[in-house]
Amino acid sequence: MNELKRIDLLRALCAEFGPSGCEGNVADFIEGQLRGVCETRRDRMGNVIAHLPGEGPRVMLSAHMDEVGMMITDIDDKGYLRFANVGSIDARVLCGRAVTVGNEQNQISGVIGAKAIHLQSADERKKATAVSAMYIDIGASSREEAEKYVDLGDFAAFASEFVEFGEDGQRLRGKAIDDRWGCAVAIETLRALAGKPLAVDLYAVFSVHEEMGKSGARVAAYAIRPDAAIVLEATAIADLPDTAAAAKVGEMGKGGLLSFVDKGTVYDAGLIDFALETARRADIPVQLKRYSAGTNDSAQINRAADGARAMALSAPTRYIHSGSCVADARDFDAICALLQAMLTEWKD
Amino acid sequence: MNLKQRIIDLSSTMTVSGYESRAHAALREQLGGIFDEITTDAVGSVICTRRCGRAGAPKILIDAHIDEIGMMVTEILDGGFLRVLNLGGIDTRIMPAAEVCIYGEETIYGVVASTPPHLQKADEAKTLKPITELLIDTGYSRDKLEQIVSLGTPVGFVPRYTELLGGKITGKGFDNKSCAAIAAEAIASVERGALAGDVTLLLAVQEETTMLGGTTGAAGIDPDYALVTDVTFGETPDTKKGDAFPLGGGVVISLSAVTDRRLTARTVELAKEKGIGYSRSVEPTGTGTDANATQLTNCGIPTVVVSLPLRYMHTYHEMLSLDDAEALRALIAAFICDSRIAEDFAR
Repeated sequence: MNELKRIDLLRALCAEFGPSGCEGNVADFIEGQLRGVCETRRDRMGNVIAHLPGEGPRVMLSAHMDEVGMMITDIDDKGYLRFANVGSIDARVLCGRAVTVGNEQNQISGVIGAKAIHLQSADERKKATAVSAMYIDIGASSREEAEKYVDLGDFAAFASEFVEFGEDGQRLRGKAIDDRWGCAVAIETLRALAGKPLAVDLYAVFSVHEEMGKSGARVAAYAIRPDAAIVLEATAIADLPDTAAAAKVGEMGKGGLLSFVDKGTVYDAGLIDFALETARRADIPVQLKRYSAGTNDSAQINRAADGARAMALSAPTRYIHSGSCVADARDFDAICALLQAMLTEWKD
Repeated sequence: MNLKQRIIDLSSTMTVSGYESRAHAALREQLGGIFDEITTDAVGSVICTRRCGRAGAPKILIDAHIDEIGMMVTEILDGGFLRVLNLGGIDTRIMPAAEVCIYGEETIYGVVASTPPHLQKADEAKTLKPITELLIDTGYSRDKLEQIVSLGTPVGFVPRYTELLGGKITGKGFDNKSCAAIAAEAIASVERGALAGDVTLLLAVQEETTMLGGTTGAAGIDPDYALVTDVTFGETPDTKKGDAFPLGGGVVISLSAVTDRRLTARTVELAKEKGIGYSRSVEPTGTGTDANATQLTNCGIPTVVVSLPLRYMHTYHEMLSLDDAEALRALIAAFICDSRIAEDFAR
């Protein structure tokens, strides 16, 4: 496997098909990218655990491999597939969208149907279509034809090209940036620190099932028993012109976001101070997350076994849980720089 | 040229209703080899003629509208966001997180903003924002954006095409550039000498908004008779019988009070004769196509409507069957070569 770097690495990670419960392809890709960098293993849940030994406290990086998606619940007589969401997806970003349907072995293209506007009643035009009324069209004309390619319990994910756009091409659009971004940051960090003296005994967990309730990171933390954990995420920033100023979380291109608190975790104040101090000393941009919303693997790692201190360093991201997550390439560099500086200079 | 490639190439062009002239050069380039003459009229329709080589031959019109649904910029906001207005009937259900092309001084990419579930208010997910309240994220600063985009700049969907099972393809702009491409291929696929008259393919503007191009184009060409080809609704689980037609069953021929029933009957016979699959669509109140205008143009032009069934019309993943496309090509080819129809409908 070619070693891919930075945005090329993120693009390739986002392209992998990996809804929660179907992360094997992402795991294979990550292990391939880490070959020769450090030791990796796959635990019984499907988490990838990488280890870069060092002298010092045990620190666990955590990024989840899974993406929000769908699961096929029925195949009808005419070959249309009914589905339910896997993870939290707004039905309004599903209707009429392109999807990939399948499993770790085989995938096929499809489209979520959207009845023509001409045939909708006035009422239908005003209301979002419920997921229970949607179906995936793979072009099959019968159940028999569809069943050659798709089985009940198979998965679906957004089919979405990775695009670099905007001023100087710094904005990145794609599916699954939540949280292949964190995976890419962890891979680049392991590569940057391999072979160098480390102030920590470093583990990186590429976890499964985050979008379903965080079970992957919990069992990995149980096995590793970290002293501290840094969760690498993509977080919604609500910085649109029609969002109330008080609800804005942060800005694009101004560095990673450090959380104080969200719906699952009150983050460790000492770790936040250390991150801020490191950023100031090394002149690395960083932002404080100004609003409490959502949750991530921290809540699970925080309370696994006898507990671990937790910090989250997240990418400011727009439109997450859609086929068009948007992040900023400058934040990728800022987050990698801050994380690597912290792990090099770790103070307990 | 391969029919699928012809359909995709033509559908990829930007022909947002009212802005079709921006595609004139691309249309000439793509279709130039097929026709003896390509001209444009005062409103921007493209008139492509292939002559049969006989003096005094009847004039046959094939009308396919070339415009597509789209948007235009109405406001440029701080942070590089745009607001837009729709041109034609856009389904707002497909807008959040959609990809768009903004056709300014240069063509730039944008994403329609959506609110992630974590940040929504209760019940917000059940509602749809009107198109005028949506935001398009360009990733530019406002200053830089204002150098590229101005009010009135057209916005369209990003062309992306995928082949599915059973020879079906999805993408944007199939309404109605698939029919335009198929008609061009039909005209290209027959020997000049086999034509029953001089054939003009009218790529009409503004069908989605004003029906302007179909009206003025037919008046200028003044044909002896006409075939209008446009997409119709493809059958899906959420359509009612009679509203929509199966993909893979061939073309759809309209039985309407406002088209010519004799010419329609002859077209049905032709399909039968040639073994071309067809369904019949009963449309007593009108056809929802340029034919509404064509039939009443000048001293009256006998008109038949032949359609291609299309699923998910007016989305960026419209879906058609290449088998149906081939059926439509074959029927148009037979229609323009049919000397009995030419004899009966020549003025």
